[in-house]
Amino acid sequence: MTHALRPHARAGWLIPCAMVGAVLTSSPVSSWAADDPGQWLEKMNQALANRNYDGTFLHESGGRVETMRIVHRVRAGKVLERLQSLDGPGREFVRDNDELTCYLPDQHTVLVEPRQDRGPFLGALPQFGAKTGEFYRLEALPDVRVLGRTAHVIAVNPKDQYRFGYRLWLDAQTAMPLRTQLCDSHGEVLEQIFFAKLDMPDNIPDSDLTPTVKTDGMRWVRQGPAHEVAASNLSAFRVSELPPGFKLTVEGAQTIGDASEPASHLVYSDGLATVSVFIEAQPGVKPVPPLPPDAPVQGLARVGSGYAFSTVVQGHQVTAVGEVPALTVEFIAHSVKGGADPDPAHR
Amino acid sequence: MSEQIREQVSAFLDGELPSTETELLLKRLTRDGELRESFGRYALIGEALRGGGQTLLTKGFASRVNLTIDGEPAPAAATLVPGKAARWWRPFAGVAVVAGVAAVAIVAMQQRYEAPGVAGAGVGAPGAITARAITNAPAAMSAAPVLAANREAISYTVPAAPASAPNAAPSGRLTNYMFAHSKYSYGLAQRGVLADLLINDEDPAVAARPPVQQVPVLVAP
Repeated sequence: MTHALRPHARAGWLIPCAMVGAVLTSSPVSSWAADDPGQWLEKMNQALANRNYDGTFLHESGGRVETMRIVHRVRAGKVLERLQSLDGPGREFVRDNDELTCYLPDQHTVLVEPRQDRGPFLGALPQFGAKTGEFYRLEALPDVRVLGRTAHVIAVNPKDQYRFGYRLWLDAQTAMPLRTQLCDSHGEVLEQIFFAKLDMPDNIPDSDLTPTVKTDGMRWVRQGPAHEVAASNLSAFRVSELPPGFKLTVEGAQTIGDASEPASHLVYSDGLATVSVFIEAQPGVKPVPPLPPDAPVQGLARVGSGYAFSTVVQGHQVTAVGEVPALTVEFIAHSVKGGADPDPAHR
Repeated sequence: MSEQIREQVSAFLDGELPSTETELLLKRLTRDGELRESFGRYALIGEALRGGGQTLLTKGFASRVNLTIDGEPAPAAATLVPGKAARWWRPFAGVAVVAGVAAVAIVAMQQRYEAPGVAGAGVGAPGAITARAITNAPAAMSAAPVLAANREAISYTVPAAPASAPNAAPSGRLTNYMFAHSKYSYGLAQRGVLADLLINDEDPAVAARPPVQQVPVLVAP
């Protein structure tokens, strides 16, 4: 069975469903809302992970609009997924179970990286538990029509200024997100995607999952495995004070740039938002002018829809980065302490 | 953008475009950068005007619109009254749209400015509509063709981005951090990171350079 979500291209079998719905409810769409928003988010997660889909969406961030295509196939427990930029340099990402391959034709490079994360490219939300509910408020807004379909509108509202929120338009039949927005605590939209077309076929041929990039003459590079632990002088660093709800979730090490030794990588999360803290003995990438060689970097920078804040702590380069407000990365970066400092985040 | 395409885009955004025409519009979108830009703009204007206050525009979008109209960013903002604005939305073309753009630009200017390096002050104090911002809308009403003509001539930049702080990290390095971080960030946020990496990197604030130089092992030529 194919779910065609194109405007005015609904399959015939859908029409009786709509009529039955109209008879049963006899109310305008706008007076209805998702009954249990938490349950609908879980349905969305299931749909994103387990369904086959092939869609074209617009991604808008920082005033730029990009057209992308997503193809996601689950067959015999094996997930194959392809995300393709239909504009510009024609970059494509393909995930084959645990391996992410980035085709970057403008760089004449194919980057292969092992990935432990199994989530779909389009992204699901973690399950909403009592803890998440302390810092976010779920809200069901009135249903609307999107792509000619009824959509439940669910808002995930942050309760303070330390995190961003989401707004999701979920297809009432399949729970697929037809539109999503990333918003700040004032409701201002920072990033959004909206589908222009979304099909959910039973079968997706291999040809739709094969990158169109010609790899002849391109450089293939493979990212090394992540390190378990950082050097002891780096692993002594911790965040001494955190914004409400954030806890240490992952501790490891990561080679950043062409650094000779891996940086310590600490991951803090409130259950939904995530901040990484990198601690390095020296800057990892050779600085570009006008920075003098090996100059530490400091201050705030915008990265995609999130922020990074860099500072120097006890002679080490510290950078906090994540899809969180500037306030949060600065708070965390400034709270990093080395050595024998007390560590409330670990208690 | 021709009148016919405007109508197509308008119908599409309202979910009223026949599927055959939708296919054609999508094909056109993928190869026509200017149309894509307009499309995103109109989609967002529609969102803002119809959204009943639920939806505002992204910061960069607002600044671009403002630059288009004004040539420079406006310093202050106020809140859109959705009920009044909604009737401006359709029929989508000409005077009404430009007036809408001006109104939306004013709306979304709110809390846009962040002092470089002062992250704690990320939320600026909301101000009132400035006299100049108010006069933008009527001025723009007579200037629809100018808007279209200027679109290509103006070099859009996101103003006052924190990334322009003198000691900010080079964007390639931040991208490396972000890429490493994306393994641990949750779905929707991760999607944003990957999407940024997929996108062309003309804008240094977006930092979309792939982490090529850091990769330690060469597999095969």
